[in-house]
Amino acid sequence: MSDAKAVADRLVKAKRLNALLTPPKDLRKSLNAQAAAARPTGVLYGMPVAVKDNICTLEFTTTCGSRILEGYRSPYEATAVAKLKAAGALIAGKTNCDEFAMGSSTEHSAYGRVLHPLDKARVPGGSSGGSAALVAAGAVPAALGSETGGSVRQPASFCGVVGIKPTYGRVSRYGLVAFGSSLDQIGVFGRSVHDAARVLSVISGRDPRDSTCEDRDSLRLPTVPESLQGFVIGLPREYFPPELDPAVRRACDRAIRLMKELGAAVREVSLPHTPYAVPTYYVIAPAEASSNLARYDGVRYGPRFNGAVDLRGLYRSTRGQGFGPEVRRRILVGTYVLSAGYYDAYYKRAQQMRALIAQDFRNAFDRGVDLLFTPTVPSPAFKAGEKLGDPIAMYMSDIFTVTANLAGLPAMSLPIGRIKGLPIGGQLIGQAFLEDEMIEAAYALERVVPETDEA
Amino acid sequence: MNWETVIGLETHVQLRTKSKMFCGCSTAFGAPPNTQVCPVCLGLPGALPAANGAAIGLAVRGALALGCTVHPKSIFARKNYFYPDLPKGYQISQFDQPLATSGTLSFVSPERSVVTATIVRLHLEEDAGKSIHDRFAKGTGIDLNRSGVPLIEIVGGPDLRSPAEARAYLQTLKQLLEYIGISDCDMEKGSLRVDANVSVRRAGETAFNTRTEVKNINSFAYVEKALTVERDRQIALIESGGTVTQQTMLYDAKENAVRPQRSKEESHDYRYFPEPDLPPLVLTAEFVAEQQSALPELPAAKRDRFVAAYALSREHATVVTSNRAVADYYESVVRAGAEPQAAANWVMTEALADANDHQEQLRVAPGALAQVIALVKGGTLSHQAAKKVFGEVAAKGGEPRNIAEALGLIQVADTNVVAGWVTDVLGAHAPEVGRYRNGETKLMAFFVGQVMRASKGKADPKLAQRVLEEKLAASA
Amino acid sequence: MSVSREEVLRIAQLAELDVQEQALADLVAQMSRIIDYVAQLSAVPANGSVKPVVPGPDAIRFRTDEVTPSQLAFGPEEFAPDFKEGFFVVPKLGQFE
Ligand SMILES: [Zn+2]
Repeated sequence: MSDAKAVADRLVKAKRLNALLTPPKDLRKSLNAQAAAARPTGVLYGMPVAVKDNICTLEFTTTCGSRILEGYRSPYEATAVAKLKAAGALIAGKTNCDEFAMGSSTEHSAYGRVLHPLDKARVPGGSSGGSAALVAAGAVPAALGSETGGSVRQPASFCGVVGIKPTYGRVSRYGLVAFGSSLDQIGVFGRSVHDAARVLSVISGRDPRDSTCEDRDSLRLPTVPESLQGFVIGLPREYFPPELDPAVRRACDRAIRLMKELGAAVREVSLPHTPYAVPTYYVIAPAEASSNLARYDGVRYGPRFNGAVDLRGLYRSTRGQGFGPEVRRRILVGTYVLSAGYYDAYYKRAQQMRALIAQDFRNAFDRGVDLLFTPTVPSPAFKAGEKLGDPIAMYMSDIFTVTANLAGLPAMSLPIGRIKGLPIGGQLIGQAFLEDEMIEAAYALERVVPETDEA
Repeated sequence: MNWETVIGLETHVQLRTKSKMFCGCSTAFGAPPNTQVCPVCLGLPGALPAANGAAIGLAVRGALALGCTVHPKSIFARKNYFYPDLPKGYQISQFDQPLATSGTLSFVSPERSVVTATIVRLHLEEDAGKSIHDRFAKGTGIDLNRSGVPLIEIVGGPDLRSPAEARAYLQTLKQLLEYIGISDCDMEKGSLRVDANVSVRRAGETAFNTRTEVKNINSFAYVEKALTVERDRQIALIESGGTVTQQTMLYDAKENAVRPQRSKEESHDYRYFPEPDLPPLVLTAEFVAEQQSALPELPAAKRDRFVAAYALSREHATVVTSNRAVADYYESVVRAGAEPQAAANWVMTEALADANDHQEQLRVAPGALAQVIALVKGGTLSHQAAKKVFGEVAAKGGEPRNIAEALGLIQVADTNVVAGWVTDVLGAHAPEVGRYRNGETKLMAFFVGQVMRASKGKADPKLAQRVLEEKLAASA
Repeated sequence: MSVSREEVLRIAQLAELDVQEQALADLVAQMSRIIDYVAQLSAVPANGSVKPVVPGPDAIRFRTDEVTPSQLAFGPEEFAPDFKEGFFVVPKLGQFE
């Protein structure tokens, strides 16, 4: 096993990225204690796993990158964290993220932005940017993130690591601080497909505390296949529009060619409702968020701001000063679309569109396609500040990832090359609860794709 | 001007479960504040609900007992509003797809005999916590032990026409829910709460006028009072040229007054949407059938059966079946051989009075009561003596006959002995004997009374009368 | 602007969020832009036959009615901003609020 001091040293060395929210002193102390208590028989014995700060841990504070939970210590831990510990893993601190996981750049954290490990002027993606950056920097072999609309896959693509979002209901959400409950899943980052997959396998499986978690055994890890013989890979044409960055297109083409060489059959498919995915997402996610974030009212936990004289004052000062601008904006949008007179036009319509988007995928899979392959993000990592002024431009970086959340399907990103030195990811989308097939294909592609070469 | 009141009640009933609706915390009443709490019912970040199957079963029983249509699929929804005793900022409830709809409740109205009120819907939800206003000088204390306790809300139609009728409806509903054992319906503990929608209209009008919602009626005794106060307020308002505005009125029991609720939820935009943390509530036919078979015979059915089987009047049957334990007791007394009407008389008077004074315990075993009734019927005990025996058996137990003997209460049915007392009485009251013989026959009651007195209550009054009649006729 | 100033203020009140006067104009513009953007959904023909679906299990699981021990590693006094004599304390509310 890696010794606790070495683990802490590697994390502290990556401090300049502002990816870790846990102070070095607390980290060292806890890692020592955890290493002494870890079960040597666990399948992840001694493996350090950093955890996104919106997942509850007993060892460290859980702030969700927000002032409204500054210093908050959870009196219970997430099921996923308990499963990691039971498997012998070490909880290697809490990672910085967009506030309440709302964002695509990890610039919306109350504790400062996270730097891209390869270019400090750029963003690592988000919202799980801290987890992605730490794995990319080699500080930990794996980390937990969370996804609502691509918050694991998009930063995985930006940072050049593997990121998996499992099927909705595969991993318990108990202890994952809710953003969009019907979309949220805990996801995993790894240096390799194997590191990510084995952590996912440990945290997956039934949990009576999460009613939306399926009553299934944990994910069985597939073996690394010799070929992709028998696999039918679908290429949804809506994900390869004419205006797609030619370098991204080249990287995808190369990956597709490699999969064909491994024996996969490749065919074009259509997911016609794709253009409506982002607006659908930006109704459903804020609507659920506006309700999920109502509990931050300054009554039971978290700091209070400016001695409020009455209850309304307590609410408004706590929420007004505790939440950052992006979170406030989304709460307002979510409240708006649920409010009297607008529900049918927005929320109900979005739920119907969601059904159509899910049906698109079922139709494709019904026609014999096993997996879909797409670019993860339309571009490599953008510059910090570049999209802060325009929420819609920021939202568009989720264009290829939100669909899997809306349909509840498993999806992952793995590096398929670089563009001017910056990593770019390819996305595999699988059928519900068939993560094993998706991971098998990723194993095969990972072995042959020149991930650090220019596309 | 003749006014008609239109009332519909929304009743919240705590279900009798060990644990809360969405977490494993205890529902026991009276624990120190915030000791029966967990991440779920405190609304901590990351916590999720897991539904209590027993609560769902009890809710289905309630719906079936009210004749509702129980829907095979219903949806939990979030009702969003801010209040410090509502930890998540929303209440998990049901909205456009409730557990059950379209039931009825028949009850005896004090004004219109039997009324059948509609039950619009019945749905499951969780309770909020409790705000304590008088404990801290500068703040309000919040106790979340109640937070997440399972409730059903029963929404009645606007079918009640007076405060007294509303009370009768609520009384009947309470009896029914207690009967089927899904709640203890204790208003003082908050396990039964009622809000009322009230409007008034001129007699003969058929449309409904603007209504108000009366809340904070926290004792059974206040139901009629609160509704009367609100009705009178609305009538006075309209008669003085004003109009009723739709608002929530809070009842203040101390002042016996209502006042509009301030500040809270002034907009009432609850932004309901389906609870994404809970899949649909799907009820299989087997599950519903199981709940149906767990239901006892309902009060109305039992009352009808008692009328038919025991030839009781509807009123007597209603009293005897008003409580499940009493109804069972009555039937046991009859089964032990008592004549049904006599058994009903005894149960309604002596047995219920004794139970009232002794923590609702029916202290005399059904067989013993049947024996007491038989002793009266056979002429062995006078009614007065029988009451004494009943009291003794209730207090100390034992065989009624033995007790009657020990107390010397057995009626003397020996004609010779009774004749002796009769002779003494007639001898001592010569003037009355004269008047009787002159036609004042109503004096017979006086003579019987005197014989009973002379015998210290032991004489069989029927026998005494027969002997008196004989002697008074013979010497004439 | 598809969202008015008054609407933003009403929504902010529902959501219990302070909105600073100087930030209001920007907020109205941003919200209008977002609402206009998502409004493209209503351009899609409404199809009543489409049943909304949500991923996850088809039916709720029934938890057994058992009292389980507290899951709190430490009590509310450790995380509450104002906790006295066993109560969470908030600014005084009137009995009739
Ligand atoms: Zn609880």
